[in-house]
Amino acid sequence: MNAYRRLFSGPLGAIAIAVALAALAMIVAGVSPIAGFSALFGGALGGTSDIAETLVQTTALLFPALGITLAFRGGLFNIGAEGQLLIGGLAAGAVGAHLHAPTAVAAVVLLGLGAIAGGVWGGLAGWMKAYFNANEIISTLMLNFVAAALASYLVVGPLRSPQATGAETAPLPHSAWLPLIVPDTRLSISILIAIALAFLLRFVLTRTIFGYELRAVGEAPEAARRNGVQMRRMTWLTLALSGAISGLGGATIVTGVMHTFNTELSPGYGFTAIAVALVGDLDPLWVCVAAFGFGILESGGLAMQAVAQVPKDAIHVIEGCIILILAARRYVATRTESAPV
Amino acid sequence: MMDFVHGALATLVLLTLVKSAPIVYAALGGVISERSGIVNIGLEGMMTGGAFAAVVASYATGNAAVGLVAGVAVGALLGFVLGYGATKFKVDQIVAGMGINLIAAGGAAYGLVLLYNQPGASPQVHALGRWYWLLILFAFVCAFALHHVLYRTPWGLRVRACGENPRAVTSAGLDPLRFRLYAAVISGALAGLGGAFLSIGEVNIYSEGMTAGRGFIALAAVIFGRWTPWGATGAAVFFGFFEALQFVLQGRVAWLPSEAMQALPYLAALVALCGLVGKVRAPASDGVPY
Repeated sequence: MNAYRRLFSGPLGAIAIAVALAALAMIVAGVSPIAGFSALFGGALGGTSDIAETLVQTTALLFPALGITLAFRGGLFNIGAEGQLLIGGLAAGAVGAHLHAPTAVAAVVLLGLGAIAGGVWGGLAGWMKAYFNANEIISTLMLNFVAAALASYLVVGPLRSPQATGAETAPLPHSAWLPLIVPDTRLSISILIAIALAFLLRFVLTRTIFGYELRAVGEAPEAARRNGVQMRRMTWLTLALSGAISGLGGATIVTGVMHTFNTELSPGYGFTAIAVALVGDLDPLWVCVAAFGFGILESGGLAMQAVAQVPKDAIHVIEGCIILILAARRYVATRTESAPV
Repeated sequence: MMDFVHGALATLVLLTLVKSAPIVYAALGGVISERSGIVNIGLEGMMTGGAFAAVVASYATGNAAVGLVAGVAVGALLGFVLGYGATKFKVDQIVAGMGINLIAAGGAAYGLVLLYNQPGASPQVHALGRWYWLLILFAFVCAFALHHVLYRTPWGLRVRACGENPRAVTSAGLDPLRFRLYAAVISGALAGLGGAFLSIGEVNIYSEGMTAGRGFIALAAVIFGRWTPWGATGAAVFFGFFEALQFVLQGRVAWLPSEAMQALPYLAALVALCGLVGKVRAPASDGVPY
């Protein structure tokens, strides 16, 4: 029983079950799984532009997934990546529209702003946790909705571009666009930033004192506290950094893909990223691999719908099942004891 | 002017009741599961599942009552998934709840295309008609019943004990996991009922995203109401009032953006969470597998 449970509660088991479920969804929709999967993978990996689009989705998922990884490793349940992503994108879009600077300067400024904004948003939950003992699961979740309302208010009202047909900010000047890796696609250098960040995060987690303390707090908070880790500082810092990574991701979507900001920035990347982080077993490098896998699902899902008539929403059911299966493993020590001191 | 004020007030009161009811149902669901020790982030998904199932069943049978039952049943089923996972496999309840939300939203969207071949919204179905006023009333009956059960019956005492100290329940010779499983199923059923109210009560279709975060608002209501049935109900009505106010004031009060009112339940929950409105304490073993 134990071996069975371990096998199927691991990422491999989840993937196997997900593939089976996907096949089932295709059969229910009256499509042979072979046709369905070939449409899925053909759409995601069939040509240069398809691969580029898959990598765009990969990048969009990778940033929040890395942010979530950091928070989970630190024992904090950040389910607010969606809001942090949005706020980061909002900051980049609001300032980027009026920023006329050389590309390198603009990129640094806008991505930095996105990271700061996301960091503030995440740090807010961290501050509430550190000083008021407010459960971060609920606060990060609630802040998602506050972020959505704020963004919606700003793009409908003060930040709305008079030229735009929809509710969005003025477009970014070309000089503020992130350079593309593959011409005529939407794939910008943001994927390189994300991968570099993954290596950096792994280094920080495994090779620095800060990372050691962060993991200690995550795995044995009481031991960490007794060994002199400043729990309050660690709490808000972890969530702020986690939010900053997601915010940076939001800024790369604005500067690299959308070139404007509106509330359609994320179709739920921040939530899917939880699954990505868990499938990647909270190891930044494996998270990259997992993000690529989910990127295939996200971009191939559309092709699967168009070519094989399998509704793309089946993808979300599959993602949900993966999350459900992986929930059987404990990632975050549930902390119920009183205020961190 | 006076006529408008009177009309608006009457509308506001009625609309508050209509808008509160689904949140009350889901919030009561949240109270019972959290009091038993299971955090239910999946309320939103259970509402979605209930809303969609109600429409599917009403469409298939032409009978809205069947739809209502189906909504409750699917909600309960999703509650069972959470409860079974939480008790049998000790899953991380937060992660599992998020999974349920994704499955329900994706499943409903998949079902729309598969069953009706139209993404976005279902065809029109038979709705509950006037019965839905009864359903609004029933929400408050449920609040009363849950209060009574939790505080005045042995079963309720045991459920609360499971949320505070499951070991004590074990040492009394009872199985806390069973109570938790029941509580999760009831929680799902209530959320499913709230969802069904949205789709075949208020309107007569299912449209994608129609729950619009009400499951999460209910979660906020649970916290704001300090994990008690009446508290959560009061908070749900409070949030329902602001939703109704948004409709009544639409376009009339320019200085107050509607987004501010949309954000209000969440801000209220954040304030409560910080302990700024009296002491807020979750059940001691809430979310801790046993």
